Amino acid sequence: MAARTSRFAFFDSGLGRRLAGLAAANERVAYGVLGFVGISLLWEVASGTGLIRRSLLSAPSLIWKAAVTDFGSGAIWPHIATSLNEFGLGFLLALVIGIPLGLLIGMFRRVDYFASVLLSGIYATPKVALVPLIILVAGIGLEAKLIVVFLLTIFAVVVSTVSGVHSVAQRHLDLTRSFGASRWLVFRSVVLPSTFPFILTGVRIGAGRALVGVVTAEFLSANEGVGYYISLYGTFLDTSRVMLGIVLLGVFGVAIGEIVRLIEKRFEVWRPEIS
Amino acid sequence: MVIRFLQDWIQYYWVTERTATYRTIHARVRRRRNPVARWYRRRERTLLGIAGVVSFFGLWQIGSMTGLIDPFFFSSPADVVLAGFEEVRLPRFWNDVKVSAVELIIGSLAAFALAVPLGIVIGWYRRVSYTFDPWLNFFNALPRIALIPLVVLWVGLGIEMKIVIVFLGGFFSIIVPTVQGVRTVDRQMLDVARSFRASNIRLFTSLVIPATVPFIVTGVRIAIGRVLIGVILAELYAQTDGVGVMIDKAAAALRSDRLLFGVLLFTLAGIIATEAVGTLERYLQRWRPNLEAEEAL
Amino acid sequence: MTSTDLALSARGVRMEYRDRSSDTSLVAVENVDLDVADGEFVSLLGPSGCGKSTFLKIINGLLKATAGEIKLRSVVKGREDAMVFQDSALFPWYSVLDNVAYGLVCAGVPRKEARKRASPFIDLVGLQGFGGKYPYQLSGGMQQRANLARALAVDSAILLMDEPFASLDAQTRELMQSELLRIWNAAKKTVVFVTHQIDEAVYLSDRVIVMAPRPGRIIADIHIDLPRPRQLSIKRSPEFATYENDIWRLIAGHQQATADPVQSA
Repeated sequence: MAARTSRFAFFDSGLGRRLAGLAAANERVAYGVLGFVGISLLWEVASGTGLIRRSLLSAPSLIWKAAVTDFGSGAIWPHIATSLNEFGLGFLLALVIGIPLGLLIGMFRRVDYFASVLLSGIYATPKVALVPLIILVAGIGLEAKLIVVFLLTIFAVVVSTVSGVHSVAQRHLDLTRSFGASRWLVFRSVVLPSTFPFILTGVRIGAGRALVGVVTAEFLSANEGVGYYISLYGTFLDTSRVMLGIVLLGVFGVAIGEIVRLIEKRFEVWRPEIS
Repeated sequence: MVIRFLQDWIQYYWVTERTATYRTIHARVRRRRNPVARWYRRRERTLLGIAGVVSFFGLWQIGSMTGLIDPFFFSSPADVVLAGFEEVRLPRFWNDVKVSAVELIIGSLAAFALAVPLGIVIGWYRRVSYTFDPWLNFFNALPRIALIPLVVLWVGLGIEMKIVIVFLGGFFSIIVPTVQGVRTVDRQMLDVARSFRASNIRLFTSLVIPATVPFIVTGVRIAIGRVLIGVILAELYAQTDGVGVMIDKAAAALRSDRLLFGVLLFTLAGIIATEAVGTLERYLQRWRPNLEAEEAL
Repeated sequence: MTSTDLALSARGVRMEYRDRSSDTSLVAVENVDLDVADGEFVSLLGPSGCGKSTFLKIINGLLKATAGEIKLRSVVKGREDAMVFQDSALFPWYSVLDNVAYGLVCAGVPRKEARKRASPFIDLVGLQGFGGKYPYQLSGGMQQRANLARALAVDSAILLMDEPFASLDAQTRELMQSELLRIWNAAKKTVVFVTHQIDEAVYLSDRVIVMAPRPGRIIADIHIDLPRPRQLSIKRSPEFATYENDIWRLIAGHQQATADPVQSA
């Protein structure tokens, strides 16, 4: 590692660094793909030679076959659509309400004192435990899932946002006072940009929790959705389809995480700590 | 020595007069605030915090009693407490607690014991971490509940399944930050150690591990939440024993007070665990002025 | 002093922090009287804890004094004073241009016009062409220049500078000192400059106000009679050395005389 970087030490910018960066990035992708392909191959072979029982772990080829079948026949689309719908609506609603709420709580000291004990307590509660209650109250349909997603997301978003408002650098605030900025201007020009990275973190965490909520609700009571799909085929002992469902969920989870991370990187320069 | 501003107890204000050419700023003594106000200001934070909690439970209780909130579904604080008293007398309850506790402890310990060493090894060899990164991220982003049917296919519906789910929740939560922690060990410090011809082992114990600790702690913190969720979900699915099942059964029996008592138990477990980790963290990091682990994640 | 060409006039300014429980007090600034003429460059010089930064913040309005009075020459509109902070405190999410324009925006100038008015100041401090860049792309010295431009753009009569070059390396610092004098000549402002470096104070100012700590107070007001415009080379001249020496002895002597082994606060 050390030898590689010293070779490029002569170029302090531009070409040398760009090349090194490209090489590193490519290496990362290369090994990533290698890992993915490698383990898949091992898996396939192990399953084919009977080292691993098909019924337990299935095999990439079988999963692929199941995917082709179900996607081709269109059987799986309603499930995906339902889950996305439940997730998306509840998630967006939680953001629309949670972010302004978090900003408010963070900015007004008294409101913060009032709410913070309660917020930490509820945040610490595994709200998945409330899913049976919610299903009891709201029934089997969309509303129950919406409520679950909403609750699970909103607390993560609010807590993160509040923490973000609190971490606005004091020297930035001093500066606004020095130049006599109005409260509204301070909010627009300092609080919002400063808090944005924290809001994104809250969104990321909230999304993860919401996904768990959707799947849980679908497991417990539903007749549609990816979670339902998985539990259904679980009872049928159809391992391939169960794995397919898992893959779908995993891909979705990773996708959301990556999107948020991309946004975070784009605004990385906004972080007050410049090194 | 604590220094407080004079303004706290004597109020000042600025008088600005604009004459033709000058703006004058001067301070003037106003009045002494009365002692009640002073006492309030000092304790404002705790007072408001208590007020918040009290309002929450108070409104809940009142709403339940007046029927604004359906007591069937939402119960009331008083009822939950009563249900609690009722529960702790039953041997079944303690059995449930024991089962859940066993699942939690074994699963978490196993997760920690495996995730930390593996994470360090994977993180240390850059190429190995590149290889495993996609898998680790995949499983970390996957809602572990989706794995339950699969795990059931493997080990059945017994306590092993729940331990595995708990384990998986904790394992991936801890290993991902650990790998990241090892990878971001300050290059400068590495160079210093190498220039002193530190052996790899010494490098490890004196530099890499202490630097990774904050990341591990962050992972543990996340794991606490995930592990508790794992217990609940696994028990909900398996429907045998445990506090999670107690919750579900209470829902089926329309006993939301018992249900909420169960939820309360999990909350308590979470709070205790978080506090414990916090204390451990503070102990381990006495030498640190600030944490960059939070930022990195 | 009633002459109307005083930019700033302070009388009896006092800043006291009192500890309620042990009933002791720390006097950060004791009874400061100061007159600064229009267009003058004045330095507040002293070791840490002598109250120079505190006094500056009082003028700026960031702190409220316990007692005393300060008169600032009014401008027709806007603030009389603008502060240049020690750490640049540029907003990382704004471009350099938006940062420099920020003071104007705070004063109520619409953004577009603020940008237009701020633009020449970017050139003035030597950052031509960097308006579109972001703070993370600038070196420490350049960030401080932007910091300075922001304070200049507000076009206040008085410029307050709180150890603005403290975080820069020695060469950059000297360069910035010379740049500052050039800008001061061009912009014709009154400057109150806080520093703990004797050579910096002597090089830059018309007057050096020497302060001492515990309690913070003025112990000397020294008129620097070196010709302007001043080049950096003047730092090597014998007259310069004399000033430096005298001030140094003054401060050191004072520290000796009031040396207390116990640290307060």
